[in-house]
Amino acid sequence: MTTPTKPDTALKPGKPLDLLQTQPSLFFANLQPILLLGTLLLSFRSLVADPVNTLLFLAPTIAIVQALYCIICLPSTGDTATPATKPGQKKKTPRTQRQDIWAKVIPVFLSLTLTALLSTPLLYILLILFGAPLTTHHLHTLLLALHLALLTTPHLFYVHGLDATAWLRIASLHLPVDEVYGMSLGACVGAWLGAIPIPLDWDREWQKWPVTVVVGMYGGAFVGKLVGGYLFRGWRIKLS
Amino acid sequence: MEDGERNGDAGEELKAQNQRAAVQFKAQHALVVAFFLLLFLFHALGIYLFCSGFLLSRLVLQDRSQCAVPPIEVQDEYTIGSIGSGCWHPKSFDKAVVILVDALRYDFTVPFQPQPGDDQPRHFHNALPVLYETAVDAPNNAFLRPFIADPPTTTLQRLKGLTTGTLPTFIDAGSNFAGTAIDEDNLVEQLYKAGKKVVHIGDDTWHSLFPGYFEPNLTKPFDSFNVWDLHTVDNGVNEHLFPLLEADMQGRWDVIIGHYLGVDHAGHRYGPNHPAMHEKLKQMDGILRRMIDKLDDSTLLVVMGDHGMDVKGDHGGESDDEVEAALWMYSKRPVFGSRDADSVRPPLTAKECAVGQIDLVPTLAFLLGLPVPFNNLGQPIAEAFLGPKTDFDDLAKVSRLTSAQIHRYQGQYAKARELDDFATSTTSLLWQEANKVYNAVRTGTGKPTSSDIANAFNAYQTEHLRICRGLWARFDLASMSMGIAALIGTFAVIAIYAHGIGADRATITPLLLAWGAAGTAAGAVVGAAVGFILSLSLVTLSAFGAAMGGIGATLVGLWPARKILRLPVPRTFWGGLCFLITLLLCVGFASNSFTIWEDEQLLFILTTFGVLMLGSSLGQASREDRVLGASNSLSFLVATRLSSLSRLCREERMPNCRSTYYASATSSTSASWQLVIPVLVFAVLPSAIAFFFGRTRNYEGIGVVWIGYAMRVGLGLVALFWVLDAADDSGWIPGISESSLKTSRVLIAQIVLALAFAGGYAIFVLASPLLDVQHEAAQPVDSPSPSSSEPLQTDEPIFTPLNNAPEKPKPKLIIYGYANTHGTRYLLLPTLWFLALLLLQKPMGQGVLALCLLSLLNILEILDALDQRHSPLGPVLFALLGSYYFFKTGHQAALATIQWESAFIPLKTIAYPWSPLLVVLNTFGAQILCAIAVPAIAVWKVPPKQPGVLGRVAGAMATHVLFYAAIALATVVEAAWLRRHLMLYRVFMPRMLLAIIVLLLVEFVGAVVALVGVRWSVGSVYEVFGWPGT
Repeated sequence: MTTPTKPDTALKPGKPLDLLQTQPSLFFANLQPILLLGTLLLSFRSLVADPVNTLLFLAPTIAIVQALYCIICLPSTGDTATPATKPGQKKKTPRTQRQDIWAKVIPVFLSLTLTALLSTPLLYILLILFGAPLTTHHLHTLLLALHLALLTTPHLFYVHGLDATAWLRIASLHLPVDEVYGMSLGACVGAWLGAIPIPLDWDREWQKWPVTVVVGMYGGAFVGKLVGGYLFRGWRIKLS
Repeated sequence: MEDGERNGDAGEELKAQNQRAAVQFKAQHALVVAFFLLLFLFHALGIYLFCSGFLLSRLVLQDRSQCAVPPIEVQDEYTIGSIGSGCWHPKSFDKAVVILVDALRYDFTVPFQPQPGDDQPRHFHNALPVLYETAVDAPNNAFLRPFIADPPTTTLQRLKGLTTGTLPTFIDAGSNFAGTAIDEDNLVEQLYKAGKKVVHIGDDTWHSLFPGYFEPNLTKPFDSFNVWDLHTVDNGVNEHLFPLLEADMQGRWDVIIGHYLGVDHAGHRYGPNHPAMHEKLKQMDGILRRMIDKLDDSTLLVVMGDHGMDVKGDHGGESDDEVEAALWMYSKRPVFGSRDADSVRPPLTAKECAVGQIDLVPTLAFLLGLPVPFNNLGQPIAEAFLGPKTDFDDLAKVSRLTSAQIHRYQGQYAKARELDDFATSTTSLLWQEANKVYNAVRTGTGKPTSSDIANAFNAYQTEHLRICRGLWARFDLASMSMGIAALIGTFAVIAIYAHGIGADRATITPLLLAWGAAGTAAGAVVGAAVGFILSLSLVTLSAFGAAMGGIGATLVGLWPARKILRLPVPRTFWGGLCFLITLLLCVGFASNSFTIWEDEQLLFILTTFGVLMLGSSLGQASREDRVLGASNSLSFLVATRLSSLSRLCREERMPNCRSTYYASATSSTSASWQLVIPVLVFAVLPSAIAFFFGRTRNYEGIGVVWIGYAMRVGLGLVALFWVLDAADDSGWIPGISESSLKTSRVLIAQIVLALAFAGGYAIFVLASPLLDVQHEAAQPVDSPSPSSSEPLQTDEPIFTPLNNAPEKPKPKLIIYGYANTHGTRYLLLPTLWFLALLLLQKPMGQGVLALCLLSLLNILEILDALDQRHSPLGPVLFALLGSYYFFKTGHQAALATIQWESAFIPLKTIAYPWSPLLVVLNTFGAQILCAIAVPAIAVWKVPPKQPGVLGRVAGAMATHVLFYAAIALATVVEAAWLRRHLMLYRVFMPRMLLAIIVLLLVEFVGAVVALVGVRWSVGSVYEVFGWPGT
């Protein structure tokens, strides 16, 4: 179903993304999934007891982790245009540190804003389409959409900006898998799988909406990032 | 001249060639249809084999109890064998009036008990107080008890239980439409043989069960299936019953059986919580009070329900509400008693002090002095034998006699079935124990009393009943395995046919058909021969032989084509996804939770497909495809989610589910706001279909006539029908009588059906393709002709070489609608069936069925945009849609959700075979519609002269059937595997029955309606554009 990409074909399927090759970048890129999953698992008990408040309190933390990930590890939209350095080769010595920071913070801020204002409502609609309660549990579903958006889109916005072709490729699974895209895909698949245990008659507290989906998407993001970053890096899903 | 001749020759030859191609197409087409019918036969044989081993079977013993032959020695002064004084035991009553109030649930008869959160009485509460009042006021004259039915809770099954005292078997459940005579010992036959005059008035089911046993002059049967009619039967029973209670009719009868149906019909039509139910119960209250007044001292009055009803007023299953009926006995003489002071008052819920319905059989037999029917398994009801002073002697005697009869039956049954001892060892111990107690009391040794005797014998009866329940849930594993093997084989054949043939499958179908048919015949003969030699069941073995012979031979028939065969495994993303989803569904049916929540699962799955199709559309290279695919995917997603709002909850899903299909959770009528839906469908749907036709400029000619006019009129009439129906239900039009409203309604419905089937089929068969042919007049040569579609020009230069005159401008023929000629031409068929199916749905169901049709059209467009018309995606999605909309049209995999009343939409009374057929069309409307639409996948937007269309259509249909075959195979295997599961009869077996019925139905409809329809649609296109393939 997946094949390695051939660079520079007519369709221009794009290239897998390279992380910034700095020490903190590589360190944090590996720390980030552990932070995300760890935060969730630590608050699992309260998530089951009170999903709304827990998800609400967790959201800023997750947003900060994602923001740091973008700033420390990822090249921002502008940078992708310039060819990335070969892995192993030292990156050019940073010019002015201060300028660089601001050049990164503003896109991160924009990415998070877009995540909150654009991705979250769209994902909310998507969740409703998949059968989330329509008349009750609005807050549950909205917070679920927010977390799903936080796990899937800030880094994509940060890397790809609002480039229409890039987003068409993302939507149609044409983009080659890398750790950023892999994490987003993993979160979606995880959320999909997370819905499966809900109807079972096990009478467990954690089967309530939306706990299983939250756990599924965090787990999925974790796995997706590792798989996309290492195992299937550069592979492309062929829909037809 | 010579050239002209040659010209003519070429024309002739072309014509002959065309004719040959036409004949070849028609022959090939007939063989493809026949091949699908052969597959249908394989499935039917497999399902027959499985069901004959799986559905419960009980050996019916032909023995009869004799008045003069008690089952055990009666060791007191009483002389047995006299009908005058009582056969085995002195009788208490000369005569009896047995009143059966159909669907009299226990909580209808006891006062409402306010509970926290539930403090308002419903319409069915406190409307029939007479039973409770008498039982409280005069406990020695009357008692009231919960009366537990053995499921299935259909009236026919219940009447068998109430007269024979034995347990029902599931296989009888379906025979409610055509009851057959009871051929085992029963109360009515005992009464008849004892020379008693039995009069029956009411439900005519009794007459099919006991033909010829009733007094012909006084008996009055009434049709029982007209559930829309609340009063005819009840008024008729009153009219004929009350005169019999007058003094001058004494001696004309001994037992009267009166069967009232009003309560049941009110439940079916309105649900229990409806003012009509309140009225009905109050009417019954009055009737019973009048009856009590008229009763004389020597007559016993029994009032009972044969089953209850669920929250919607339906019955058939085994939920608590359905099995909890009421039993009340009354006598002017004080003869009844109770065990202790606590049980004097009737219990306030059906969970306490309940008696079984089979217990009525020995009780009535002893009270009227009859022998206990031979096959009875029930025990005497204590209250009827304790007497006003609570004397256990009588109860001990009748309990002993009843148990002795059961013991005798047990011996006979074990002998007939050659049972081993271990199944009966616990009962033997209890039997010996009870006899020991009895002897101890009789000889006066030890402490036991009469009450201990009764208890000991009751313990034996209870244990025996438990064993019997287990015993009759015995499965014939050999037959079940044969059925499963046949189903697996058929599945393999279809899988290879649909996905393992790398060439045009229409060309090898004749070979497969010939081999398959020959193998079936040979297998049947071999099976029968083996059965004859080994003296095994002939029918089973020849069925198995036919199925396996046919399947094997079909596979052998593939041998010559082995070069083009390949393994039928998914090779594309979409194929893999379809495979995965089908597999997940199949595995899910092993879990009762997934089975119960199936409709939500299907929504999830369909949305997954929708989202992926949306994504894939966005990745298309051409902008046109992107827009077409994305817009249709969005429309599909919204339609799917919108129809998920229509929901009918099954009982197991309470309290996590809220039904929206009917006016309320306790009703089976539609809310009045729902009438907007048929009107909306009428206003919007034809234009929506026209839009899909018009996109490729195929909304032309007869298409406009059918969709723009005929269908619109039909939909208008459907809406009118349901408005009149609601008007009748709620009495909006006081001026017009109910019967004239009904007559006009039935007439409207019949017009719609005539329009759909007679009109629609005439159009479909005779129509030419939906094209707009325009002649463009000759124009000056230099002006280019504007044409928005591909112009078709005859190849004139070939035939006009001699014409040396300067090229004069020729008239042009422009054909609009070339791009989707096949697709739109075929689509007339699903739309005409849609009109008929729509009529038979409730208003809510009409809305979702219209959304289903739109979703089908959306998918056709998406498949075009993604260029996936040859992948399994379309047929599998159609099957998923069919399954999904089955639930959305107000059904569940449970007997109680069958909408029986749909039989009365175009008919006033039951008429065979139409009534069952209408119920089938109502129940499986969605699956039928989707199956009929399947050929459209293969012909949607293909060029008119595309070769191999027939093979592609057959492949799509085979894939569609393959999905249902997988579900049927999985549920069958899982039902067999889980045959000891607690939820077998509530969840797994109903789902399995649904799966096999749907499989057979889809296969049949797919072959006889859809594939047969292809002949006319494809044929008419070829007539115009020429026949390919030569």
